[in-house]
Amino acid sequence: MSSVLYKNVVKNFGALNVLRSLDLAVPDHKFLALLGPSGCGKTTALRVLAGLDMPTSGKVFIGERDVTRLQPRDRDIAMVFQSYALYPQMTVAENIGYPLWIRGTPEAGRKAKIGEVAAILEIGHLLDRRPRQLSGGQRQRVALARAIVRDPAAFLMDEPLSNLDARLRLTMRGEIKRLCQRLSATTIYVTHDQVEALTMADLVAVMHGGELQQMAPPIDIYDRPANRFVATFVGNPPMNILPAAPGEQGVMVGRNIVPLEQTRLAACRQAGIVEIGLRPEDCGVAQPGEPGALPGEIYVVEPMGNETLVNVCLEGGNVSVRAGRDFRGAVGESIGVAFDPANACFFNAAGLTAVHRVNSNGRDK
Amino acid sequence: MHGAAQARKYRLQGAGLDLALPYLMLAPGLTIVLGVLVYPLWDGLRASTKAYRYGSPVGDIGLQNYVRLWSDVQFLNSLWVTVKFVALSVSFEAVLGFALALFCLREFQGIRLLRTVLIIPMVVTPVVVAIVFRLIYASDAGMLTALSQAMGGGAVQILGNPVNAFVGLVVLDVWEWTPLMFLILLAGLQSLPHEPFEAARVDGAGAWRVFADLTFPMMRPVLAVAIVLRTIDAFGTFDQVFVLTRGGPGEATRLISIYGYDTAFKFQQTGYAAALFVTIGLVVLALAFSAIRLLRRVDAS
Repeated sequence: MSSVLYKNVVKNFGALNVLRSLDLAVPDHKFLALLGPSGCGKTTALRVLAGLDMPTSGKVFIGERDVTRLQPRDRDIAMVFQSYALYPQMTVAENIGYPLWIRGTPEAGRKAKIGEVAAILEIGHLLDRRPRQLSGGQRQRVALARAIVRDPAAFLMDEPLSNLDARLRLTMRGEIKRLCQRLSATTIYVTHDQVEALTMADLVAVMHGGELQQMAPPIDIYDRPANRFVATFVGNPPMNILPAAPGEQGVMVGRNIVPLEQTRLAACRQAGIVEIGLRPEDCGVAQPGEPGALPGEIYVVEPMGNETLVNVCLEGGNVSVRAGRDFRGAVGESIGVAFDPANACFFNAAGLTAVHRVNSNGRDK
Repeated sequence: MHGAAQARKYRLQGAGLDLALPYLMLAPGLTIVLGVLVYPLWDGLRASTKAYRYGSPVGDIGLQNYVRLWSDVQFLNSLWVTVKFVALSVSFEAVLGFALALFCLREFQGIRLLRTVLIIPMVVTPVVVAIVFRLIYASDAGMLTALSQAMGGGAVQILGNPVNAFVGLVVLDVWEWTPLMFLILLAGLQSLPHEPFEAARVDGAGAWRVFADLTFPMMRPVLAVAIVLRTIDAFGTFDQVFVLTRGGPGEATRLISIYGYDTAFKFQQTGYAAALFVTIGLVVLALAFSAIRLLRRVDAS
């Protein structure tokens, strides 16, 4: 296993600027999720690491080795593709054994290793089948088996779960996480699904427009987003953003004052904040006119079973509120949105988070 | 009168029309197929069981024409020449076509133009191709002779020499039909998924192993179809030989089609020629079926 390093990696496809100077360091044995919307450059970043695409400029390191100009096969990596990319004419056993066979591993050693990984992934009974005789989930397992059959420097996974149905995706998510922890493997995992990124990874790197927005452990990505993009991309429903301005006693949200302690208020003032960010679960419903609550009216109510999502139309825009499962309300009804200002974060005009929330899941920051 | 017209009108409306319409629409096409395919085939089968004298049937002789074929040295020889011709031409076309298709799969400047140029031979009328090759091969004023003389050599004998004439015919066929192989195989290659090839590169395969372990096995069905198509077609090669050599010198390039033509139109043995072509048709059909079955078995194993 090895660390992985991107140094000023730029990738252009003709006039299209897909990666603009990517700098990223993945420590040894860590599971990194590359998260972003489609077209953000995350897959390109992975393909550059795999050697399937050459960077326009910049360098890529695996361990201490500069692999920028090496062929994929000389990089000592294993990759799992979104479409599984199994070899259709080969049996499952031949598929799994291919990376060993091509490297001249003797048959006895190969067989033992195939049996071993097939057992780990519970596909021992499928070894004589061909890929087209397998279900999506089974193909996924074969692709994983083929990747772990060697001990490569790093595992690369390109949206490996997105071709599976929702139920199977949930199961495989846990399986892959377990597998990677068991192998203690350096893993780069590309996904557009924030839940996958947050649940599986040690580190999440959020990308947007070919640029790295933030790299941090999942909980910090969620609680201390570096900017407005990360704040709204991660979280479902996304973080509520309302226009705000620093005032005398607190931050003004529309005509309402959100009281803030002096140090934070001073920081807000200094940064020239223009927006306030609030997670839906940090908001609550309140009686209209309750002091400290923002007044508005119900836009839509969505009962989810375990909770109720209430969308409230406020002066500065709509916000989502997570209310209890027993919440009842009619569209157009007056309502208040209450929250603890300590849980709010504030963005400056450049969209960067100027003032973070105070509490971070019980950890004081 | 009025009532009858109205009744007819009603009959061709609604449910009645819905039922009749598909057949009405099929009728013209079906008539043509029956007229130009089924009837001649039937007539040919019938002719093959008759004895002809001076081009007219003079009596039914059952399967005698078919029996006679297998003791006809000229037929057996032309069959052997045809098999050699088909085997050589189609193998060269397959190998060349595959190589060209692999080469043209890559994207580079001018690739579209190259792909277009490569398929030109295929769209030229076969007779024109043969005339062009005559102009190249002719021993008195042909291009090869001119080239040879320019370099101080003598006249080049192609069409007058049995071996050279046969090779010259194969070269013509390869030139004309490699583009078809190329086209089918290029389409096949382009339809292959990308990911397995990328996976193989990551897994450690070099260019040759990628070809041997992935490209070739994945292309085998397409390759087989292309070869079967070309083989069936090559068995019927006629115009090029007719223009180039008429089967000569001697019997060196006398393909089955030329022998059949001679039998039917030169020697006026219509029934015997019909039996000959029915036999060849069955042989080709059997070949095609066994090729396809073989392919299925290989694919399923």
